[in-house]
Amino acid sequence: MRSSSYSALPARTLRAVVVLALAAGVTAAVPTARADTTAPPAATTSTEVAAKPYMGWTSWTMQSSKYPGLNPKGDYSYLSEANVLKQTDAMAAKLKKFGYEYVNIDAGWWMDWSWKPRFDRYGRQQADPERFPSGMKAVADRIHAKGLKAGIYLPVGLEKGAYGDGKTPIWNAEGCTTGDIVHDDLRTTNGWDSAYKIDFSNPCAQKYIDSQARLFADWGYDFLKLDGVGPGSFKSGDNYDNVADVAAWQKAIATAGRPIHLELSWSLDHGHVEDWKKYSNGWRIDTDVECYCNTLVSWENSVDDRWDDAPAWTDHAGPGGWNDLDSLNVGNGEMDGLTKAERQSYATLWAIAKSPLFTGDDLTRLDSYGLKLLTDREVIAINQSGAPPAEPVTASDPQQVWAAKNPNGTYTVALFNLSDAPAAVTANWSTLGFKGKASVRDVWNKENLGSYSDKITQALPAHGSRLFTVTPRGTDLAWTAYEAEAGTLSGNASVADCSACSDGRKVGNLYTGGKVSVNDVVVPKAGIYQIKVAYVSGDSRSVLVSADGGGATSHKFASTGDWATVNSVHVPVKLRAGTNTITFDSGTGYAPDIDRIDVPKSS
Amino acid sequence: MDTAPNPRLPRRGLLALAAASGALTTLPAFTASAAPQRPANSPVSEGSSRHRLWWQAPADEHSMIEQGLPVGNGRLGALVSGDPGRELLLITDATMWTGGLNDTLDADGQFPYGRDDFGSFTLLARLTVALPDHDLSAVHGYRRTLDLAQGLLTTSYTRSGVTYRRRIFASRPDDVIVLHFTQSGGGHYTGTVVLEGTHGEDAAVSFGAALPNGLRYGAAVTTYGHGGRVTVSGSRIDFAGCRELTVVVSGGTDYAPDAAKGYRDPSLDPHRLARTKVRDAAAHSADTLLRTHVADYHDLFGRMDLSLGTSSAEQRSLDTWERLRARARDGVPDPELEAAYLHFGRYLMISGSRGSLPLALQGLWLDGNDPDWMGDYHTDINVQMNYWMADRTGLSPCFDALTDYCLAQLPSWTDTTRRLFNDPRNRYRNSTGRNAGWTVAISTNPHGGGGWWWHPAGNAWLCATLWEHYEYTGSREHLKKIYPLLKGACEFWEARLLTTTLPGTSKEVLIADSDWSPEHGPLDAKGITYAQELVWALFGSYCTAAAELRTDTGYAATVAALRRKLYLPRVSETTGWLEEWMSPDNLGETTHRHLSPLVGLFPGDRIRPDGSTPPDIVAGATALLTARGMESFGWANAWRSLCWARLKHAENAYQLVVDNLRPSTAGSNGTAPNLFDIYEAERGRGIFQIDANFGTPAAMAEMLLYSRPGHIELLPALPDAWAASGFVTGVAARGGFEVDLRWRDGRPTEVRIHSVGGRTTTVAYGEVSRTVTLRPGASVTLRDLAR
Repeated sequence: MRSSSYSALPARTLRAVVVLALAAGVTAAVPTARADTTAPPAATTSTEVAAKPYMGWTSWTMQSSKYPGLNPKGDYSYLSEANVLKQTDAMAAKLKKFGYEYVNIDAGWWMDWSWKPRFDRYGRQQADPERFPSGMKAVADRIHAKGLKAGIYLPVGLEKGAYGDGKTPIWNAEGCTTGDIVHDDLRTTNGWDSAYKIDFSNPCAQKYIDSQARLFADWGYDFLKLDGVGPGSFKSGDNYDNVADVAAWQKAIATAGRPIHLELSWSLDHGHVEDWKKYSNGWRIDTDVECYCNTLVSWENSVDDRWDDAPAWTDHAGPGGWNDLDSLNVGNGEMDGLTKAERQSYATLWAIAKSPLFTGDDLTRLDSYGLKLLTDREVIAINQSGAPPAEPVTASDPQQVWAAKNPNGTYTVALFNLSDAPAAVTANWSTLGFKGKASVRDVWNKENLGSYSDKITQALPAHGSRLFTVTPRGTDLAWTAYEAEAGTLSGNASVADCSACSDGRKVGNLYTGGKVSVNDVVVPKAGIYQIKVAYVSGDSRSVLVSADGGGATSHKFASTGDWATVNSVHVPVKLRAGTNTITFDSGTGYAPDIDRIDVPKSS
Repeated sequence: MDTAPNPRLPRRGLLALAAASGALTTLPAFTASAAPQRPANSPVSEGSSRHRLWWQAPADEHSMIEQGLPVGNGRLGALVSGDPGRELLLITDATMWTGGLNDTLDADGQFPYGRDDFGSFTLLARLTVALPDHDLSAVHGYRRTLDLAQGLLTTSYTRSGVTYRRRIFASRPDDVIVLHFTQSGGGHYTGTVVLEGTHGEDAAVSFGAALPNGLRYGAAVTTYGHGGRVTVSGSRIDFAGCRELTVVVSGGTDYAPDAAKGYRDPSLDPHRLARTKVRDAAAHSADTLLRTHVADYHDLFGRMDLSLGTSSAEQRSLDTWERLRARARDGVPDPELEAAYLHFGRYLMISGSRGSLPLALQGLWLDGNDPDWMGDYHTDINVQMNYWMADRTGLSPCFDALTDYCLAQLPSWTDTTRRLFNDPRNRYRNSTGRNAGWTVAISTNPHGGGGWWWHPAGNAWLCATLWEHYEYTGSREHLKKIYPLLKGACEFWEARLLTTTLPGTSKEVLIADSDWSPEHGPLDAKGITYAQELVWALFGSYCTAAAELRTDTGYAATVAALRRKLYLPRVSETTGWLEEWMSPDNLGETTHRHLSPLVGLFPGDRIRPDGSTPPDIVAGATALLTARGMESFGWANAWRSLCWARLKHAENAYQLVVDNLRPSTAGSNGTAPNLFDIYEAERGRGIFQIDANFGTPAAMAEMLLYSRPGHIELLPALPDAWAASGFVTGVAARGGFEVDLRWRDGRPTEVRIHSVGGRTTTVAYGEVSRTVTLRPGASVTLRDLAR
């Protein structure tokens, strides 16, 4: 089923190949006898689901890795009852007191070692007796006995192996069979095309989802990762639109008798974010963080994608639903395949972006630095607090600064150096909206650094970071706004309507030479000014920024997610006393649309 | 346009015959040395901010070539990371070379060019000082400074209220590299020191081994502290709770610049010597070692200074990397940064060219054992460019490494030429069938060997460089040393030149046999301008040398006669350019990096824009230089700048300097954070080539002062950016003078001419000219040249 050539494939492709292979080989799953019940169990918890980003552990990270010894019985074989319980014990002992609670079983609990699936007589996934000899309920019970919560996994759609020539009956749905819930042409769905798309116009379809949800509730699961969901999971088009599946799951969970956190995976389409928010408790914004290589992850494949991809989602996170950056694998440097600096940056971004904090590390082998990163109470508090998620306040250049304003008036500020060599990174207070002094606490280093005027500069290692709490002691900055559409346009540039933009318009069509110059920008004295640029960009784009005909600097602006959403970041420009012109030039490429700029009244 | 050998060069008395044959007495590079002279009082000071470069981030293990800071004592060098938690030194000895004589030619009659046969410059050792509590992510206010005036690296940062400082320097008097860790505020140092070889040796506090070519080498480290404990634990040194810590490291090889001994000194035990050196140095406090170093270093550094104007407070507030970026972004001159760039070149030369092998493609600095082009000596521009700035920026003593290298190689080069050059497979062989003297390959190593292709005119270009040093210094000792090189090169060309009759005339001329004009166009062109110009210069230098040394009168007459018959290039009627291939057609790449056909403009002196050269030749040279374009990189920009300076085109010359100061990002052409020049070999892959770090300062100096024996010209190509006011002191002028010069509003206000042996020279600014006659050692100050 596998060959070494798979190792050259991108991680996601690799995973798809395997799941496809397993799906194709199954036609005769033998259901085991089991006492059916129509009475829902009593809810075990009344805590509001996903009030905060969830914290826990996932099995997938070690399942997906070729790290020596993890998967001795074949690919993905790390997932077993013994390993899950071993990690449960470790979490209870080491991490529970810091807030970690979910133990999440990922793909394969219904697969044998050669990845052949098993279904019950109602077409529902059934524990593989070798992987989980005690059955799924017993495992959930053991997890609960440790005071933790249990998570389980499903791919979206009707798995091909569950179809059974369309004659498989659906539990608790008189007259319904699997043939009723799919399309006549057996169109496939999900990120691997491993399932038939479910046709929710037939009421039997909801019944099937209900039957799965009920089973999980009966077993006592508190969390479900629904995977391969589209639009997303590298798929688009009607066959891969699983919004109806997700809605059905939400509905099913509501009546299953137990609160179940519903998490969606992977690379969910930003254009459907309102659906994800409506029906789920979290959504993976990006592809797997795992590298499918000899370590758990690697920086380039694909931890570092998140800095570019998260900003577009920031505004959508909140109680009930969070932007999921995927697992946080910082607990063992040697297994993780990351430097200490990379691990700190990884943990920093996840914390400030308010991603769920679930690790895929071997909790029995956390090194001291990893344990420190995973259990820093201040960092966890930042993640779990009521403050909004941080977002970039600078352009998304190799050296970048993210910040969030906390309800108490302080700021959470993170400096990142994403380049491959050490570099100095500066956080200018003007990008936070104030000037003068501020006191700075270094969160990771537990050190109050004292007072800094106007900015703080720190040396960061390659792929390194700093996490500060900044308490302003200065005064708010005053700004002067300049609408881009009032500027001088050249090349292809044109003014376009934009309901989210100030004054309802922006400058667009900034490509291959198109540029806009904002004129008559007046400042009292010469200096470097951090100007705030409000922009719209459906993807990540760069623009050349210059002042007064001087040399231009290229800055990358993160995607705002679509062409109707405005975001703002700061870029430095050198202005002279008096009147200036600030130019945004697309150069040889495509630049974001520019809405307006705000210029501080003092540098 | 032929000129007689210059009679104005100083004569310092009579000279014994055949002076040069006995001159080869250079000591091995790594050798026991006398106890250093230690200065009585402290010369260590804060120095001037003009001479300080500073950064707000360190290097790491993977960015050493762009961010590591070089130190060196002329022989022993290191790239230093400055990383608080993991100080890393990549240590080099200039002689740490694999390979050998490499005298079995390939099937095409050319030289093998691999790391085993030709060889490669490689690392001597890696030293790490690990301070686990000082991880970069945990310290604040990081800063490192390179004090160019004192040859000193300083790194400082704070951690939990304690300010930590380390100073690192490479001492020539003590022949060691010193790392001195101090702190204020009650802190301490706990960690380990590890010294490792890079050729498979086990880590050890000292080690000795031999390369496959038999070169023996060794290195040693010692550590001592105040407070706390320092213990040797097997292969490493542990220290704990030290209020202060000093680490001393040294090492070297048994290389000897002596062909007769196979370039080895069998009496030398590098392992033992390294241990002795660190032990002897460790008998002194770090402060004493530092004072000794600074006194020695400053002796050279202080010989020259310059100001190109005043930078703004805003420019001064930026660290060096930000400043480079601002310079490129804003297009606003930053005169102090530009002057510091020149001084950085001087720092590299003082650190990399004293008492051992000369500066190669990467100077003394490596980040691995696989440097591009072996980190070798490229004789078709690069090694020459490395030394153009030595005399021009007050560092004449640093030039000697090149002279000594050529002399030490000469027996091998002569032998190899005699045995192999006329190999029938060598496309460059002498079709005359005659063979004499010596020449080199495009690449040379320190084992007497060549690499890649034969380079017939390489001998003449090396000689031109050696000769220019004589013109600057008037050193009879130097002249005696280089005489056999000059003569052997003449003998080579005497055997090689072909007689031909120019088409349409009956005029017989001498032309060079089949050759390649570096590094483009046909491989078999006769009479290439590159060779004609260099041989013309060589013959002239030789005749002057023979006359000065009163030797070989007969042979000098022969060479003078050959020179009179040498063909010199004309201007193509097709392109309007000075011809490169004795053809009116452009047979190569129009914008090629090499300016080979312009060697007569720079570094040569034959083509002068002062009326003494036929105007069509100057126009043809200018047209060719224009066609070569302004869009090149590193050394190619530097050479272009020098040519434009010679043509008195200040703004072009300056633009090319500024282009080299563009920050290099992601391997792009330009200047790395550590000011090393980077050449983008392929997209995203930059290679450090040190030649531009020397060629660019040479161009800056040439813009301020032009000289040839008997003639000095002030501010020949002063750009507007530097015009407001400035000075330069201690620069050599050919003919045996040193010059101090001040200017304001683009005009010289005061010039002091000091004779270091020269007698008479004209001193010109624009149309104004004075003749100065001085006794050696005397000076004169002129203040009226701008009127």
